[in-house]
Amino acid sequence: MAEGAYSEFLDPEVLNRLMRQFLHARVPMVGSISGQHKSPYRGSSVEFAEYRKYTPGDDTRRLDWRVLARTDRFYIREFEADTNLRCYIVVDCSGSMAFGPEGRRKFDYARKLAATLAYMIVHQGDAVGLQCYSDKVLRDIPPRRNPLHLKYVFDTLADAKPNAGTNLVKLLHEFSEKVRQRALVIIISDCFCDVDELLHCFQHLHFCKHDFALFHLLDPQELDFRFDRPIRFMDLEGEESLLAEPAVIRTQYLEQVREYLTKLHEGCNRFNADYRKVQTDQPYDKVLADFLVEREMFVK
Amino acid sequence: MTFLSPLLLWGLPLILLPVLIHLFNRLRYRPMNWGAMMFLRMATRKSTRYAKLRQYLILLFRCLAVAALLMAIARPLVGGWAGWMVSSRPDVILILLDRSASMEDKNGGTLVTKRETALKTLANTAKAYSESSRVLLLDHTGKHPKEIANLNDISTVPTTAATDTAADVPAMLQAAIDWIIEAKPGNTEIWLASDLQQSNWHPEAQARWGAMREGMLNLPQNIRVRLLAMNEPTESNVSVTIEEINRQQRGNSAELELVLKLERKETVVQDAFPIDFYFNDVPTGERVTVKFEGQTMRYRRRMTLPAADSGGWGHVQLPDDSNARDNRAYFVYGQQELTSVAVVGSDPIARRVLQIAASPDPASTNVVAEVILNDKLGDANWSKYAAVLWQSKPPEGDMAAKLQVYVNSGGILIFFPSGETGSFEGLGWGEVQTAAVNESFKVSRWETGEGPLANTAEGTQLPMEDLEIIKRQVISSESTVLARYSDNTPLVVRQIMGRGQALMCGTLPLEEWSSLTEGFVLVPMIQRLVSAGASRLTAARQLVCGEATTGDRGQRWIPIGNNSGTEFGSQSGIYRSDDRVVAQNRPVHEDDWVSMEPTKARELFGKVPVQLFEEKESGAPKLQSEIWRILLAFMALFLIVESILILPKQSEESSTLAAPSERLAT
Repeated sequence: MAEGAYSEFLDPEVLNRLMRQFLHARVPMVGSISGQHKSPYRGSSVEFAEYRKYTPGDDTRRLDWRVLARTDRFYIREFEADTNLRCYIVVDCSGSMAFGPEGRRKFDYARKLAATLAYMIVHQGDAVGLQCYSDKVLRDIPPRRNPLHLKYVFDTLADAKPNAGTNLVKLLHEFSEKVRQRALVIIISDCFCDVDELLHCFQHLHFCKHDFALFHLLDPQELDFRFDRPIRFMDLEGEESLLAEPAVIRTQYLEQVREYLTKLHEGCNRFNADYRKVQTDQPYDKVLADFLVEREMFVK
Repeated sequence: MTFLSPLLLWGLPLILLPVLIHLFNRLRYRPMNWGAMMFLRMATRKSTRYAKLRQYLILLFRCLAVAALLMAIARPLVGGWAGWMVSSRPDVILILLDRSASMEDKNGGTLVTKRETALKTLANTAKAYSESSRVLLLDHTGKHPKEIANLNDISTVPTTAATDTAADVPAMLQAAIDWIIEAKPGNTEIWLASDLQQSNWHPEAQARWGAMREGMLNLPQNIRVRLLAMNEPTESNVSVTIEEINRQQRGNSAELELVLKLERKETVVQDAFPIDFYFNDVPTGERVTVKFEGQTMRYRRRMTLPAADSGGWGHVQLPDDSNARDNRAYFVYGQQELTSVAVVGSDPIARRVLQIAASPDPASTNVVAEVILNDKLGDANWSKYAAVLWQSKPPEGDMAAKLQVYVNSGGILIFFPSGETGSFEGLGWGEVQTAAVNESFKVSRWETGEGPLANTAEGTQLPMEDLEIIKRQVISSESTVLARYSDNTPLVVRQIMGRGQALMCGTLPLEEWSSLTEGFVLVPMIQRLVSAGASRLTAARQLVCGEATTGDRGQRWIPIGNNSGTEFGSQSGIYRSDDRVVAQNRPVHEDDWVSMEPTKARELFGKVPVQLFEEKESGAPKLQSEIWRILLAFMALFLIVESILILPKQSEESSTLAAPSERLAT
C-alpha cells in the first residue's frame, strides 16, 4: 500500500524496522475496547490487581470463595483492564513549515513522521486520527482502528500544503476541550508562536489527562543562522520582509533561540510532555526509534 | 593649506564611494523565505540601535580613509603641526632675512645660494597668504620692515640682495618686536630665515635673548615664529681675510706686507690652491700657490708697490668655491707714515732702554719712540701714538681719564714698575720684592699662543725661562695673566679695555732688576705691542661691513674698481668719499662657520611658539611641510578602526562555537 502511492512519506524499510516495536502510552488510556494499553479501570485481564470488599450489586462470580471459606468475609478479586489507544496526530501546516531545502522541508519531515506513526498505530490495533491546521483547522480526521482508515489519513497528508499563519495555541485549546477522553496527542510543529501561550496549551492538555508528545521541528539554518551576506528575509506566513545583516544580529538571534528553546523544554518537562527536538537533517527513522524505545522504557 | 598636486583634489567626490557601495549593497540583498521571523524580529529590535551606530561608524571611517588617501596623494603642504593647521591666518607676515655673507653659500653644489633658496621658499609660502595677510620684509641691516608689494619680484628688492655683513639675530628680532609695538598689527607671524651661524645668533648673550623672549611674550598680539633653518653644511669653502697691512720703505721702492688669514672647510682636502693679488684691479702678474696645512693658516706676503710715493688699494682673490663672497679681501694702503711710540719714565736708564726696544732702527722700521717728560704729559696728543710705555707712577685723575680714552679707542698702554704703588683700571702695583742672594725669580709659564709673548711664526719660543729677575714689583690684578713666576705671582698681565689693551710688566729692563735689558724678550714683546697699536692707526682705512659709524654712513661713498659692491656699509669693496679711500671687508667672525643645532636655536625662543623647518640634504627646505605621511598614517588608523568595527564580537564567536543546533540536537 505504502510503496506506490505514498512513497513520498512512507518508507517500507523504515516501517518494517519500526513495526517490531510498540508505541506505548505513558498514562492509562480509556478505551472502548480491549487493547494492549493500561486502563484506569479494573477489568478482566489475567493480571491480578487487588482485593476489594464485596458491596451489594457486585458480580458474585468474582467473589474469592477461598477467602470466604477461610475468613467468612466477602472479598472481590479485581484484575487489571487492558484497553485500546486513541491517538491524535496534530500536524502543523503553517507557512513556516515550508522552510528548508526542496524535499527536506520541515513539512516533508512532518509528513513522514505522521504517516509512519499512523501506520504503526493502526497496525498495533489502536485508533489514529489526524488534524492538520495552519491558522485554522484544515482537516480533522477522527481516530479509527480500521486499516482502511489509513488511506484517508495518507491522502490527507499528501494533499496538505504548508500555507498561511499559525494559530496553534487557539487550536490546541479547542482540541483539549473537544476531546474529552484520554488520548495520545502527537504534535508535529515548529512551534513558532508565543512560548508562554503555548505552554498554557500544554497545561490544558495535561489537565485533560492526555498523554502528549511534541516533535519540535527545526531546520539547521534556523538554529545556526550562518549567512555570509546581507539578506532580505521574506516571511513565509505573511507579506512582511526584513533586511538584516546576519553577521550583525547573529548573536542576538541565537540568544533569542536559546532562550526560547530553554523555556519550551522546561515547560514541557513541567507538564509531563514528551518533548522531542528534531533537526530536519536528522534521519526520521532514528528519531522515531528513539521515541518508541524511550516510551517503552518509561512504561516498564 | 596648499597642494603639490591640486588636480587630484577633483577626486574628492570619491569620498562618497563607500556610501554608494553601501547603498548598492542594500539593493543587492539576497531575498530568502524565512520561517523563524519571530526570532529575527526580536534580534533585530535588540541590535538595531547598536548595529546602526556601528554601521554608520564603519561608513564614516571608510569615507575618512578614502579622504585621507586622496588628500595624501594630492600632497598637501601645511605650515606645521595641527596647531598651525587649525590656526587662523595671520594679519601680518614679517619676514626676517639673514643675508649675511655666510648665507651666500651654495646649496649642495648647485648655483643657488642659501639666501636665494630661502627667499624663494619664503615668497612661495607667503603667496598662499597674500590675499589675507600683509607681507613685510626686514633684513638684518635695517630697522624698519618694508612691505612687499609683489612677492614674485622679491628677489629684486634691494634689501634682499647679498651682503658681506654679519647678521645679529637677537637685534633683528628686537627690531621686529619694536616695529610690532609701534605699528600695532594684528596677529603676526615672524618667518625667520637663517643659516644658524653661531656668531650671528649670539647664544651666549642670554640677557638679550631673555629681553627678546619677554618682549615677544608680552605683546598683546599672538606672535608665532617660523624658523627656516638653512643649515645644510658647507661642502667646500676657503675664505680669506687680511689681518695686517704694513707698508715699508726700501730705499726708493716701497713694499707692502699683507698678512692673510686663510680658513677652509672642505670635505675634499685640497693641498694647494692659488692666490691672486691685485693693485687697483690690475693683477700683480704673480700667482701664488699656497700649500694649505690644517684648517687655518696665516700667510705673509710682501709685494713691491707700483708707486713708491703714493697710496693705493687692491684686493686678494681666491679661486671660486661654494661661497664666492668670502674669496676676496680688499685693502687700502696710504703713503709712507711713521709709527710713533710714547715713552714715559721716571728712571732715565729704563726710559732709554724702553725707547730703544720700541724703536731699535727708526730708518728701516718706520717706528720712532718719543720720550715724554713728566711736565709735558698734560700737552701730549696720545691719539697719535701706537703705544705708550709708562715707567712711572700710575696716572691719576685727568691723566688717567685721558689714557683711558686712549686705550678704549684702540691704544696700547704698557706699565713698567716705578717702585710706587697705585692702580689703573683694575691693574695695581704692590710692593717691590727682591730675590734672595744668588737667586732670582724664574718665569715658569707664559702664553705662547697669542699676545706679546707668543711663539714666533716659526714656532720658536721666546727665551722667557732664561730671564734672570732679581727684583720685581708685585702686580695685583684679576686680569689675564700672560706670564707668571714659578711661585705663581704674575709677571705680565693684560686688561682688555674697549678696543685697546693695558698691560703690566712686573720688572724693569735694568741691571739691578732683571735681564730684560738683553732684549731677547723685551724687544719682540714691545714690537708686537707697537704693531698691534699701529693697526689702529691704519684701521681708519679698513672698515668692516655693517659696522660703519654714523659719521661714515652720513657721507657719500662711491665704489671704486670693478669688483666693489654698490652698497656702502653692507657690501665689501673699495669706496671713496672725497679724498678718503677705504676698504670695506666682511666681519672676521663671519668666517667662523660654527653653526648652532636647530633645536638649540629653538630653545633660545623659550616659550615663544616656534615651528622649525630644517633644510633638507637635497632640495629646498619648506616652510610648509608635506603631511602626506601623516595622512597615510591616519588612513591606516581609520582602516584599523574600521576593521575592528566589522570584526564579530567575542561573544558572537563563542556563541558560534555553541550554536543551538549543536547543543540542542538530541
